[in-house]
Amino acid sequence: MAVLVTGVGLFLSAFFIHLLIWRVRLPNKQTRSLLLIFFSALALWTIPLWLFPLLYSKIGLPAVTLTEYLHTIFLFISLTFAYITTYSGIEVDSPSLVMVMIVKKAGCDGIMKDDFENALTDDILVKPRVRDLVRDNMAYLANNKFKITHKGARIARLFIFYRKILKATDKGG
Amino acid sequence: MFVSLLHLLTPLSCFIINILSQFFFIWILSFGLLKSELFGFIIGFLLVLMMGTQTDSSVQDVHAIVATKLIIYTSLSYCYFHFVNLAITARRIRLIRELYSFEDGLTMGEILRQYNARDMIENRIKRLIDSGQIVFRNGRYFIGKPVILLISEIIIIMKRSLLGKRSEFD
Repeated sequence: MAVLVTGVGLFLSAFFIHLLIWRVRLPNKQTRSLLLIFFSALALWTIPLWLFPLLYSKIGLPAVTLTEYLHTIFLFISLTFAYITTYSGIEVDSPSLVMVMIVKKAGCDGIMKDDFENALTDDILVKPRVRDLVRDNMAYLANNKFKITHKGARIARLFIFYRKILKATDKGG
Repeated sequence: MFVSLLHLLTPLSCFIINILSQFFFIWILSFGLLKSELFGFIIGFLLVLMMGTQTDSSVQDVHAIVATKLIIYTSLSYCYFHFVNLAITARRIRLIRELYSFEDGLTMGEILRQYNARDMIENRIKRLIDSGQIVFRNGRYFIGKPVILLISEIIIIMKRSLLGKRSEFD
C-alpha cells in the first residue's frame, strides 16, 4: 500500500508543480521542462531517503525497504512517461482530431468534401511540422534545402526498422 | 527479498510478453496492427493479474500490489501504443523518413510533393471512415461513432486548462 500511495502521491505533487509553473509562464521546450520538473521531484524524494534512511521513521513515516523504494521509483517513472506521452498530443494538434472537430462543428448537415479539404491546408498540417524538425535539431536548412541531421537519421532508421517489424507497408502519416 | 524483486519485475516482464505476443499475432497469425496490439495488451494484463495474486500478503496488501502492477503495466503499454502510433501515423516521422531517403535534401516544395495535406487527409479520412468514426454520405462527412470525438473533446479541455488555448494556432 505504501508503494502505491507514495508513488501516486509523488506523481501528483510533481503534476501540481508543473501546473503552477505553466500558469506563470509556458516554457519554450515543454517536454524538456516536464522531464526536468518530474525527475527533480523524484530526486527530491529519493536522495534524502537514500542518504538518511532513518529520517522518515523519525518524522513518523513508515520505514521503506529497498524493493519498496525501487518499486515506488518504477511506478513514478511509468506514470511520468505516460503523462509526457499524453502531453505531446496536447502540445500540437493531431490532424485526425482536428478533422473530427471540423465535422462535428458542421452539425447535423455534415460538411461537403471540398469544404472539408479546403479547411486543412499545408500551412496548417505540414509546414509547422517541418519547422519543428529544424527546431528539434532533426533537420537543418542549407541553400534552401532541408537536410537531415545525425540525430534525425538515427530516429529515421529506428522507425524504418520498427515499421518493418510491424509489417507496415503503407507510407503512413 | 526474492519475492519482492519478483513483484518489481512482474509488470516489466508482462510488458515484454505483450510486445512479443504482438509480433507473434502479426507474423504468425497475420492479425492487423490494432487487433494485435489489443490482444497483446490483454495477454499481458491477465498475466499481471495472475502473477499479482501469488503472494502471502494480507488481502488489503494484495489489492494494493495488484493495483500498482496494473498501473505500471498499463502505463508502459500506453507509452508503447503511442510509439507504434508514431511509427505509423506521425507527420514528423513521415517527414523525417522522406528527408532520410533524399541525401541531398529537399526544398519545401519538394517535401510537399512527397507528402502534403491532401495525402494526409486521404490517409486519415480513410482510417476514420474504416473505423466508423466518420461517415461519408451524399458527398458529405458526418460524425459516426463518437469515440474519437470524445477523445478530441477531452484533449481540448486539457489544452484549455494547461495551455490556455484550444489549438496550437490560437
